[in-house]
Amino acid sequence: MKPAIRALGIATTIIWIFLIAFSVTAVYSVMNLGIGFGEAQFFPSSEGVVLSLPFFINNSGYYDIYELNITTRIKDSNGTFLTQSKTFVPSVSTGSNIESAHNISIELSDVMERIELIFSDSFFVFDTFVTLNFAHIVPVQLSMNMTVPWGAPFSDVSVGEISVDSFNSTHVRVVVPLSFENHSFFDITGTMQLEMYNDVDELVTSGETSLDVQSQSTYNEQVDMYLSLADVSKLTESGRVHLIFETSMFTVEQWIPYD
Amino acid sequence: MIEEGNRKGLIEKLIPRVLKATLWGALTYVFVYYLPMLIYPMDLLPLEYSQLFYLFVGITVFFTVVTKLFSGTILEHAFGIARALIMIIYFIAVFDGGIISLTMPMMGTTVNLAVDLKAFLTILILVNLLGIAKSMFQATKFLAKKVETSQLSVG
Repeated sequence: MKPAIRALGIATTIIWIFLIAFSVTAVYSVMNLGIGFGEAQFFPSSEGVVLSLPFFINNSGYYDIYELNITTRIKDSNGTFLTQSKTFVPSVSTGSNIESAHNISIELSDVMERIELIFSDSFFVFDTFVTLNFAHIVPVQLSMNMTVPWGAPFSDVSVGEISVDSFNSTHVRVVVPLSFENHSFFDITGTMQLEMYNDVDELVTSGETSLDVQSQSTYNEQVDMYLSLADVSKLTESGRVHLIFETSMFTVEQWIPYD
Repeated sequence: MIEEGNRKGLIEKLIPRVLKATLWGALTYVFVYYLPMLIYPMDLLPLEYSQLFYLFVGITVFFTVVTKLFSGTILEHAFGIARALIMIIYFIAVFDGGIISLTMPMMGTTVNLAVDLKAFLTILILVNLLGIAKSMFQATKFLAKKVETSQLSVG
């Protein structure tokens, strides 16, 4: 019995020493783990935009970090899934410093499918999951959700009071004051077509103007359209203006009533 | 006269035990409470975890003191088994079955952290089970020796 007791005593002591040593060094390692984030930046891509979130991990502890996996799921304000991005770092060994970026690709086609995002400010919900394996023995999972505001590129589109004045002997000029605010993070460069319909939905006149609206700025211009004197009778006091915005990234349309 | 002699003998036996138990209790307190506090201040832990740590210190110091106080008796081994069992229950409760979940505010959002300590908890349970086995062997040995001594004295 004595050797059994001695063996158990030795085994218990060794395991306790291992446990205490691991606990102390693991706490020390976690305390000496430097994690930081850089400034998030938007980059244009062929399919849309990329939100890049740079980060660094400085592992000055005693244990390696394995299988660092960052997953971000983006949902719109209704909770509908938009896109998912993953970043994988195989290992961060002791004494090393890694710098990487978590890139979240947002395809503009996904955004354009939701027409309300073009004309109304909204928000996106970012669900982020981080998983890693600490020292091959302790899996860690971290989750957070953030609400990121979305600024509409054509926010508060409105048509002012339409005026008609004589242009020449054959035509009159229809002046349409138009305004909107570009709340988005990108500049709008392209064209805007206007089609004016009367109260019986008959096309009265149309025109086109170029757009160059900087991010976070207001567009407030008058668009001139010309109408032959013979067609002036088609112009009614109320009707609708059909706006077609065409940029290198997307084409969208909007109907605005006027009276 | 005999009673007075017995009491004197009992006190003479008790004083070294009490001193030994006090010394071991103080040493355990230093190793389990004072040194970890130097390395990792408990203020950094959430309140419920710091309270659980104080409970751990209490359990460890209590069982060290009573084990030393009753050393050389069957109670020493009984307390050894009780300590290991309580520790197993304590670790399962503290580690929440192996997964510790924390919710903390960070960068204006709420972060949920889950640490899977199942492997660590398994080793902690195993080491305590080994402790129970050791105490049981020691108790058996103690009883066997006692029976042997009594049989020899009868013979």
